[in-house]
Amino acid sequence: MANYLSISDILVTNEKVPCKFLHDLPKMGFLDPSAADDDLKAGTNVEIPLWLAESLYTRRPPLVGVDLPKIYKETYREILNADACTVDMHKLGQHFYELGCYIAKHDIKGEVATTLVNTFRQRFRMILSASVSTDSISSFQPLSASERDRTAAAVITEAALSGWLKRGDCPITTANMVANHRKRKRAEMEML
Amino acid sequence: MFGEKVIELLKEADRNRETIDQFNDEKIRQIIEEMHVLFKMNMDDANATTENRSLWTTVQVRHSALERNKRCLLAYLYNRMDKIKTLRWEFGSVLPPDVRELLADSEYEWFSKYSTNLAKYMRSLGEDIGYSGIDLTENLRPPKSLYIEVLCVTDYGKLELEDGDVVMLKKNSRHFLPTSECQTLIRQGQAEVRHIPAVTFPPCLRRIGCASRASRIRSVA
Repeated sequence: MANYLSISDILVTNEKVPCKFLHDLPKMGFLDPSAADDDLKAGTNVEIPLWLAESLYTRRPPLVGVDLPKIYKETYREILNADACTVDMHKLGQHFYELGCYIAKHDIKGEVATTLVNTFRQRFRMILSASVSTDSISSFQPLSASERDRTAAAVITEAALSGWLKRGDCPITTANMVANHRKRKRAEMEML
Repeated sequence: MFGEKVIELLKEADRNRETIDQFNDEKIRQIIEEMHVLFKMNMDDANATTENRSLWTTVQVRHSALERNKRCLLAYLYNRMDKIKTLRWEFGSVLPPDVRELLADSEYEWFSKYSTNLAKYMRSLGEDIGYSGIDLTENLRPPKSLYIEVLCVTDYGKLELEDGDVVMLKKNSRHFLPTSECQTLIRQGQAEVRHIPAVTFPPCLRRIGCASRASRIRSVA
């Protein structure tokens, strides 16, 4: 398994996906909030976390069939293909691309994969041009988690580059973790 | 639902990517307890599968949950270990007490071992050509000048330089010191000395900076 120790991958695999159970599951009724029974019957549709779905899907024979989450369905794909930059990614899917990579293999026609690439291409240009100029990133639609990280990294790199071009030397500063630790300590002190 | 506690634990860790948190042993104990319960239930059901074949699917679901919990716990410990490694490079070999108490005992043991290993390696560097080691945690960026101007932000006290001179570092006093003497103080922040960057640059460089930025935007668009 790739990224076994990555916290962000663990958070991605915690997202829920709709699944159809193909076998009876005794004592597992609590997985379906609407069921009163103790047992989970074959054919029930339940939203379960991706990690559980993936692991049950890879068993022989598979215990579940994985369905596409709403945001990767035809209607949303049309919106994204039309203009991805107008979409509120924060609300739509915090981990849109990462989850999409897992989901794409359950889409037989392969349209999810093309949508992911298209969306990324459209939005990447928007993010890049905003991070090299100094106008605020908050002026456009909210970003997904990985986009936010990428933007922050781009802004830091840009600042470092222009600093280097102007000054040509790199001042010694307090180490990152030390500075952050002290900032937090100060915040805690002020709270007391 | 399975694995909810462990996600809380990881979300907490993810929120503070830049600093290290208190080791959450209470939550870890709860998670391990949850895993014991799951394992026990699985043992019972696995023994019962001879009469009731359909229980086999349930065992598989619980087994996935166990594996998931294990993965999350390992990820938590691994990410902390990474941060502890950074602590050695940024705080130095002696941790301030308020940082020390954030670590669990076994983590502190790991830190001491890592610190010893690193020190041993740094001492061994350059032995064959007659040097007695290099401090790798110094000069992480190429030093630009032998002397730098610094501003003390708290009362540090006396600082003895290599040539025997003693400098009194008082709050809000400015000094012109050898880079090698004071950069550790700046990095570790404990001496509260702040580097005042020299602001002399030829104007032509500034123009190049702006032009290259604009041309990069153009090439992307």
